Amino acid sequence: MSAAGPSSALEVRRLTVSYGSRPALWDVDASFPRGALSAIVGPNGAGKSTLLKAAVGLLPVDAGQALIEGQPASAALDRVSYVPQRDAVDWDFPITVREVVEMGRYRSAGWVRRLRPPDREIVGECLERVGMAPFAGRQIGRLSGGQRQRVFIARALAQRAPVMLLDEPFAGVDARSESALLDLLRELCEQGGSIVVVHHDIGIVRARFDWALLLNVRAVSCGPVAESLAVAKLRQAYAGIAEGMGEEAAAWIG
Amino acid sequence: MSDDLAIVLTAGMVATACGLLGPLLVLRRAALLSDAVSHAVLPGIVAVFLLVGSRAPLPVIAGAAVFAVICVLLIDALRATGLVKVDAAIGLAFPALFALGVLGVTSFAKGVHLDLDATIYGEIAFTPFRTVELLGSELPRAVVLLSLVSLGNLLLLVLLWKELKLTSFDQGFAQTTGFSPGLVSRLLLIAVAVTAVTAFESVGAILVVTMLIVPAATAYLLSDRLVLMVGLAVAIGWIAAVVGHSSAAALDASIAGAMGLVASACFVLALAFAPRNGLIAVAMRSRRRRARLAQALAAGAERG
Amino acid sequence: MDWLIELLPLSYTNAVVLIGSVTIGITAGVLGSFAVLRERSLVGDAIAHATLPGVVIAFIASGAKDASTLAVGAALAGVAAALLIVGIERTGRLRPDAAIGVVLSAFFSLGIVLLTYVANFNNANQAGLDQYLFGQAAGLLEGDLVAMAALCLASLAIVAALLRPLRATLFDAEFAGSIGLPVRALELITMAALVVAVIVGVRTVGAILMVAMLIVPAVTARQFCDRLPTMLVAAGATGAVVGGSGALISESAALPTGPVVVLVGSGAAVCALLFAPRRGVAWNARRLIRDRRRAVTEGVLVDVETALHAGPPPTSTELMLASGRPRRALRRALRDLDRAGILERDGDRILLSEAGAAAAHAVLERRDLWHAWLEYGWKLELPDAREPDPSDLRGGLGDAAVERLRALAASEPTQ
Repeated sequence: MSAAGPSSALEVRRLTVSYGSRPALWDVDASFPRGALSAIVGPNGAGKSTLLKAAVGLLPVDAGQALIEGQPASAALDRVSYVPQRDAVDWDFPITVREVVEMGRYRSAGWVRRLRPPDREIVGECLERVGMAPFAGRQIGRLSGGQRQRVFIARALAQRAPVMLLDEPFAGVDARSESALLDLLRELCEQGGSIVVVHHDIGIVRARFDWALLLNVRAVSCGPVAESLAVAKLRQAYAGIAEGMGEEAAAWIG
Repeated sequence: MSDDLAIVLTAGMVATACGLLGPLLVLRRAALLSDAVSHAVLPGIVAVFLLVGSRAPLPVIAGAAVFAVICVLLIDALRATGLVKVDAAIGLAFPALFALGVLGVTSFAKGVHLDLDATIYGEIAFTPFRTVELLGSELPRAVVLLSLVSLGNLLLLVLLWKELKLTSFDQGFAQTTGFSPGLVSRLLLIAVAVTAVTAFESVGAILVVTMLIVPAATAYLLSDRLVLMVGLAVAIGWIAAVVGHSSAAALDASIAGAMGLVASACFVLALAFAPRNGLIAVAMRSRRRRARLAQALAAGAERG
Repeated sequence: MDWLIELLPLSYTNAVVLIGSVTIGITAGVLGSFAVLRERSLVGDAIAHATLPGVVIAFIASGAKDASTLAVGAALAGVAAALLIVGIERTGRLRPDAAIGVVLSAFFSLGIVLLTYVANFNNANQAGLDQYLFGQAAGLLEGDLVAMAALCLASLAIVAALLRPLRATLFDAEFAGSIGLPVRALELITMAALVVAVIVGVRTVGAILMVAMLIVPAVTARQFCDRLPTMLVAAGATGAVVGGSGALISESAALPTGPVVVLVGSGAAVCALLFAPRRGVAWNARRLIRDRRRAVTEGVLVDVETALHAGPPPTSTELMLASGRPRRALRRALRDLDRAGILERDGDRILLSEAGAAAAHAVLERRDLWHAWLEYGWKLELPDAREPDPSDLRGGLGDAAVERLRALAASEPTQ
């Protein structure tokens, strides 16, 4: 496994997480380099979201640890921004787009204190950047799927954290929005940010990402997309599925 | 101060204290906590009566507050097990505490004048007669106490506004950004407990439960912003207080009951006529949509 | 009913109270289960409060204060409240808790207003109407028992007859609708059942305590049962036991029945939540501690084995540095291993005993097997959807499958 060394943006060591007696992640070693656009791919139930949640401390870990920029994740939460899966959100909540993005500045403001003008400037910039500035005053329930995702990415941007973790950000997002968002993520990487995205579409990952972890409860492969998503590895991870679908599926995966 | 003014002011301060917290409870799907708390305080009141032998307001409020806090923490703990949903957790916790209180009343306080109605179901009509000296003027005690509680709640909201908003909206994100949702939620629940206890010592349980839930639910139908929702909830509470008081006088009926009914009437109006989410607005929208669709289809058929 | 009362070695009043409590326990236990599973436990609270205006209106309309007239009024108001709750929820934006709270407040406020209205007209006769909500078990009569038992049997019979469609609706209303079940009617039936349970109980244990009687048996039974029919039976039984034992305790201690029944029930529910096998909090905590400890101990065993392979026997400090485990965990694991006779010491260097070598081998073999399952499991083409527990793969998969897995792993080199 081609490790990115101690300077990885995100690294997990021997990570094991289970729900009840059923392991969701088993002894996973993986690292994601700095400044790269990385993806976590794998079949349903492979533990992709679990890995991110465990990394930011939302799930208890059975064994192993997660490191963010070389430090234990619990001590480095200020260096990471996390975009959760959106089904957890109450879309009827009386809150505007701007207010959601402002939440990204809460950590730096700290308890009790209010946001200062520089924070508000950052919020404005982030809204501009994802193209949501015209919608700043809208209630979040009255946005399309792609627009909602832009808002949550803007909130992550506003955190100004060097590492960004996104859990299935493109589920339910139309192709045009996805492409625009990927351009934005790429731009962030070019400015030195490190991004890890849970993704379900291998074709897009291969075309647009630098680095991938192929996961199926345990790590199948981790490295530059060309290596980690080689046909043999994919067969291994998607084994049952690809076999069942025959040559056509293999061609699609290849 | 006239009696009527004192009663309206008392109810208004209840509306303020409750209207500040109610929206957060409704948004956190914990509206019924207020009902739970209002029953769970009984053992506290009985215990204070047995220990101190008095029904003076401050010890009673303190004793009741202790059990109110025990109740909310118990509900929190039950829910945290993940074995019962929040509604069942509420339904397990408060009847048990209430039962404890009833047992206390019947086995130790029998014969003594401590009937449930007077203790927890305080009567708003008596508020003008219980006064305190403050700054040289005679003020109803309930108004003073409830103003202090409202001030406390306002302070909580101003200081922890962004934390409350964040943890109500997105717990997972709050946790990853270092704002403990559990801590914020416990602070809010303690504020609810203190508010409820103070308020129903002077106005009775049902009015407190009503003021915590109904104006907030009404405001939820009417607004898309949290600040606005809180403001509306307070305003609706005041409307219920003023209109309820005058209609109670006209009908010679229970003041608390009339205020509750006015608040409920506001809710029904909002449910029907709310500009965006009301039943009528929704029906009109879907009718317009159907009409447009029919038009488009007709146009298509003509062209075709 | 006479024979039953005489059969019990109790005074007439006590026997009536006991039979009444058991009846309420069974009814509330079974019918409350549906509300708890629908996450509408507190609908019972709203219905119980809503009985107040019903009782007062029944009194105004009939001028009589006999129990059955008032019960009919209470039932009608309860049904109205239940329908309103469902209706408000259906409009979309409000959550069940807010809908319940609004209806509760509105009905109870109405009840209070009506009560003062009645008081203004006739002073003597209305006294005690507001006591309806507090409940009075000692006031039960034999005639009440017959009515309660009849209601109880009727509603249980309906539930038994409709169990399958009710279960389908409860589990997945959309699917139930798609296969042509009358989802709304079924929902109304469960609501009506809840109203019946509340009306039966409220006069005996009181409104607030009735809430507990609806929830306690369901929550307790749920911790032990995973199937709806068994859960319903268990909830009914729990309700009966709670009601019966509560009534007996209250009689011998000369305490009011309702609160004692509720406290007994709450105790039962808390015990179930703590100690139920596989679900209970204490049960799970113990299992988690044991599992974690075993995982660390096994890990240390493997560390020792690896170190012995690589070079001279390690010291505990070397083990700690190599594995990055915290000192305390390592020390405890070594102590556990020592106790099991797995380690041998050479000064402060650590070796494996014969048993230890075998144990380490077994652990490593199990890990290899698990890796093989993750990697080649799909090739086994098992006829069913087995998903084995990693700590006991052989038990979960069967010997034949394990052997084939071994062969597969041996034939293909691991990456």
